[in-house]
Amino acid sequence: MGSSIRKAIELILSADPELLNILSTTAKVCLTSSVLALVIGVPLGILFGAERFPGRKVLLVLNRTLIGMPPVVCGLLFYMLFSGVGPFRHLHLLFTVKLMIIAQVVLITPIIIGVMETFVADTAPALRETTRGLGFGRIKEYKLLINECLYSIFSAYLLSFARAIAEVGAVAMVGGAIAWKTNVMTTAIMMYTNRGSFTLGIALGLILLTLSLLVNVVLSLMQGRLSR
Amino acid sequence: MKKTISLLLALIMILALCACGQSAAPAPAAAQAPAPAEEPAPAAEPAPEPAALVVDTCILKEADDAMINNYSLLAVNPDAPFADADGNPVTDVELNTVGAAALINWLLSEEGQDLAANYGFDQYGEYLFYLKDGRPVSTAEIPAATEETKKIRLSTTTSVNDSGLLGYLLPIFEDKYGYEVEVYSAGTGKSIANAKMGNADLILVHSKKQEEAFIEEGFSYVLDGMDAERLNWMYNYFVLCGPSADPAGVKEAADVKAAFKAIADGKYTFISRGDGSGTHTKEISLWPEELGITADAESFKDYTDWYISANTGMGACLVMAEEMHAYILTDKATFLTFVANDGVMG
Repeated sequence: MGSSIRKAIELILSADPELLNILSTTAKVCLTSSVLALVIGVPLGILFGAERFPGRKVLLVLNRTLIGMPPVVCGLLFYMLFSGVGPFRHLHLLFTVKLMIIAQVVLITPIIIGVMETFVADTAPALRETTRGLGFGRIKEYKLLINECLYSIFSAYLLSFARAIAEVGAVAMVGGAIAWKTNVMTTAIMMYTNRGSFTLGIALGLILLTLSLLVNVVLSLMQGRLSR
Repeated sequence: MKKTISLLLALIMILALCACGQSAAPAPAAAQAPAPAEEPAPAAEPAPEPAALVVDTCILKEADDAMINNYSLLAVNPDAPFADADGNPVTDVELNTVGAAALINWLLSEEGQDLAANYGFDQYGEYLFYLKDGRPVSTAEIPAATEETKKIRLSTTTSVNDSGLLGYLLPIFEDKYGYEVEVYSAGTGKSIANAKMGNADLILVHSKKQEEAFIEEGFSYVLDGMDAERLNWMYNYFVLCGPSADPAGVKEAADVKAAFKAIADGKYTFISRGDGSGTHTKEISLWPEELGITADAESFKDYTDWYISANTGMGACLVMAEEMHAYILTDKATFLTFVANDGVMG
C-alpha cells in the first residue's frame, strides 16, 4: 500500500501527459453523463412521483428493472447497435467519448428517476393539501414542490456522479479503452491489472478516490447551503 | 444541523489533505536519504531501493523451433461478407482502406522494418522482435493523410501492445504522414471478432489458425503489390520460464516438448493463461498428447493439483508464477518487460 501511495503521488507530481489525458477524458465523460441524466431524470422523477396516470405503475416497474441493468450488458447492446455492421453504423459513434456518455446516461437516468420518485411520492400529498387550502395554482404548486426537492436533487446527483465515475463495464465495451481517446480511469486500472502492474492500478485507484472525495465535498457543501 | 454536516465534511477534507501531505513528505525523503549516505561509501550495495523485489522466475527454455511466435498483418476486405447480429448481410460497411494500406506499406517499408527490428535493444539489451526471412517488403509510395483517410483503426492483441512496440512505431508514422491510428487491444479472439463486426481497418495478430480462418471467410484481401492476404513479417519466441532452482530440470530437457513432459510427470505447478489467447493456444499444443489438455475446462479437471488455469492477462499470470514458484509459458517481450520492472508488483 505504501508503495502505491508513493507511486500515486509521483504520478500526480510528474504531470504525466497520458495520465492528464485519462483524467480529462474521465472528467468529460462522467460530468457530462451525470448532468445529462439529471436533466432528463429529475423532471421525469417528479412527474412520476406527483402525478397519478394510467400506466404509471408499469413504467415504475420497468424503471426499477433498468436500475439493475448490468453495465456490461448496456455496453454490449450499444456496441452491437453502433458497430460497423450495426443499424446505427452511419453515425460513426463506436469508440468515441460521445457514445460512452450516451451509454452512461442510459445507465444513470433510471437511478435518478427512482430516487426522485420515492422522495416526491412521499412529499407531494401533504404539500398538495397545503397549497390547495391556500388556493395556489398548479404552477405555484410545482414551484414549491421543486423547492422542497432541492436537497434530494443533490443527493440524486451525488449518486449518479458516483455511478458514472465508478462504472467500467459499459465504457470499456463502447469506448474500447483506446489510448489518448477513450481511456478513462477505470478502464486504465483494468488494463494495468491485466498486465500485472497492480501497484500502478492501485495508484490510479487512489487518485480516482481522491478526486471523487473532492467532488463530493464540494457538492455536499453546496447541498448544505442551498437547502438550508 | 446542516451547518454541522458541512463542518464535518470540511474537517474530513482537511484530514484527507493532511494524510496526503504526510505520506508525500516522507516518500521523497526515504528515496533520497540512502543516496547521499552511500556516496561517501562506494562499497555499499548498488541497489538503493529498500524493498525492490528480485525476480526469481527466469527463462529456462527458448529459441526452440516449436516456440516461434509469428506476427502477421491483415488488411480488412471492404467487400467482406459482413453480417449483422442476426446474420443478415450488410454491404455498406465503411472501412478506411487507403489508411490501412498506408500503415501496412509503412510497416513493411525499409524504415518501418528497421525500427521494429531494433526495438527494445536500448532498453533491454536484447532484440524483442526479429524479421522473418522471405518477408514481404513494400516500396510503395505512402500517401499523406486526407480528411477522409486520417483515422485508421487497428485491432491487435495485448501482447503486441503491452511490449510497447506500437507505442514506439506509431507516433513516428503519424508525425510523418498525418494519420491518427486508434489501437484497439484485446485477446486474439476478441480482436478478430472486432474486425469481423466492421470496427477495424486492419489487424495485427499472432495466431496462424485463426488468421487462416479469417482469410477463408473472405474477411481479408490481397493489397496491391503483395502476394498474399497474410503478411507475416516478424516473429519472436515464446519462452518457458520457471523458478531459477528448476526442480523439474527443464533446462536439461532435449527440447521444449520434453520439458513440458518433465513438468507434467513431476506435477510441478504450471500457470496457464486459460483465456483463449495466442499464448494459451500455443501452450496447449506443447503438452504430451496423452494428457489430453485442451482449452476445455473438463480436459484438465484431473490435473488441478498442479495445472492452474488463471484466465487473465500475461502480466498478471507472471506475477502469479513468481509468487507460486511455478512454470509458465510467455512471449519473450512481455517477460523482459516484467523483469525490467522488477516483477511489476514492486
